[in-house]
Amino acid sequence: MIKRIIFLVTCLILTPVLCVAEVWKAPDQERAKERAKEVVPFVTEYKNDDQITRRISLMDTGISIQDVTDTYFLLDSPIIKKREDHYEPVRFSHKRHANLTNDCSKCHHYRPKDDTALETTRCSACHQDSFNPDHPERIGLKAAYHQQCMACHQEQAKGPVDCKGCHLQNVPDHKELVNLPDNADPFQVTAECLRCHDTQAEDMLTTAHWLWKGPSPYTTGHRKDIMHGKGTTALNNY
Amino acid sequence: MKLTRRHFFKFMGAAGASVAALPSSASAWESKAPPDPYGCLVDLTRCVGCRKCEEACSEVNGLPTPERPNCQCTIFEKKRRPDEKAFTVVNRYFTGKLDAFDNPLPTFVKVQCMHCQDPACVSACIVGALTKDETGTVRYDVSKCIGCRYCMVACPFEIPAYEYHDPITPRVMKCTFCYDRISKDGGIPGCATICPTEALTFGKRETLLKVANKKLKDNPGKYIQHVYGEREVGGTSWLYISAIPFDRLNLPVLPDTPSPKLSETIQHSLFSYLWSPLALFGVLGAVMSKSNKTAEKQQNKGGA
Ligand code: SF4
Ligand code: SF4
Ligand code: SF4
Repeated sequence: MIKRIIFLVTCLILTPVLCVAEVWKAPDQERAKERAKEVVPFVTEYKNDDQITRRISLMDTGISIQDVTDTYFLLDSPIIKKREDHYEPVRFSHKRHANLTNDCSKCHHYRPKDDTALETTRCSACHQDSFNPDHPERIGLKAAYHQQCMACHQEQAKGPVDCKGCHLQNVPDHKELVNLPDNADPFQVTAECLRCHDTQAEDMLTTAHWLWKGPSPYTTGHRKDIMHGKGTTALNNY
Repeated sequence: MKLTRRHFFKFMGAAGASVAALPSSASAWESKAPPDPYGCLVDLTRCVGCRKCEEACSEVNGLPTPERPNCQCTIFEKKRRPDEKAFTVVNRYFTGKLDAFDNPLPTFVKVQCMHCQDPACVSACIVGALTKDETGTVRYDVSKCIGCRYCMVACPFEIPAYEYHDPITPRVMKCTFCYDRISKDGGIPGCATICPTEALTFGKRETLLKVANKKLKDNPGKYIQHVYGEREVGGTSWLYISAIPFDRLNLPVLPDTPSPKLSETIQHSLFSYLWSPLALFGVLGAVMSKSNKTAEKQQNKGGA
């Protein structure tokens, strides 16, 4: 209790301080955001090497993990946003992935035909808009990311393959959606949540949180006891 | 009975002549397929079964949200069909393929109207409520529809559904190929826009066929050597390529002949030989009047 009071008082004191102080921003994140906004010129022609040739030629140029300058990217682009915007961008640790795979050619699988171009050009140079009639066989940026990431994660049995393993879903601003009077009572609040979240409500009704039935693996002495709870040994109805 | 054996054979001869004339009118059947339609290529090896296409389809077509759009845990346990509430559904098939860890590999198959080049549904519709558009879309006009549901019977893919629950203004429901979007410059169907892996490629049918056949040629071990929809029922706007034979993924084995060719040939032959039923009635009339006369004579005889 005392701890809680101290915490509240500290919060009260700190609030004005925090409001005045400039919010700290992670420099990496800011750089990644800026980089994600860039759209580079489209590479129309690429060298159609097979993966082994590509790997060897990358080794021959002497490029290694030590040369990775950008450690962190946000996989986001106006090219994708133009069509749809359902998920938050993916945060991608470039250097970490380079270390793990130890093979640049896994992602930098082709290079531009133009010899003066960068050896490890960025994904969005070759993969831009989907269904480009001039390059029908070239997949768009969104598909390139998904095919590359998911296929490798599956192959290596490492890393997420489901949507939410990499993305946060764009949660709509609930300020606009929630419609409650001032000083709403708990029943009003619950009713307001249920107005949209009926599936979640149904799911909740089948869980131990509601039924108070089921094994209690974290309750010492009752680990396998499934007969404690509402309707059996307890008489409350929360 | 006054229809003698000779008369009978004469009549059969005439009927036979009209039947023999059938093939000449069959060659008169002409495909009404648009010259440069859009299409969509479904690469089943790329589909990850996320069902985002179902969600997007409902959203752009104002249909109810699919069941549990964000949870793929139990939805695939039953095989679903497109219905009046969902223009497209994704089903999962385990065909015995294993991944590197010996786990069964699923194949996901998106199903929707194929937008046939010579659609059976259009041919079956007696009021022209269904039409094949220049874009390749098979469009439905509810204001013309009389609710006969012939299209549902005719469709070789069992696609059109009907709003049986709506007694006042029931509609035939099927994928619209997002006509309102694709008829605009740069427009893309809702499902193809959202697909994360480009399992759905939208473009001109001709181009897609080239892309598909090139993929088959470049990856002979990966794909079975067949573009589903290239020739099935005379060709469809939606095309599929796969690593698993199509009949094991519930995509029916169908002849190359467009369904309307057969039905329309029979109908048209009947119409162009409309005189043959007339001839039949003529013969029957003659027989009847003759036998009437005989009866009258006999009656007269009996009366006398
Ligand atoms: S799939 Fe069926 S409903 Fe769609 S165009 Fe072909 S015949 Fe018509
Ligand atoms: S083309 Fe449009 S209507 Fe047809 S399945 Fe895709 S989103 Fe739905
Ligand atoms: S959105 Fe694409 S990958 Fe996802 S289920 Fe549909 S076709 Fe498959």
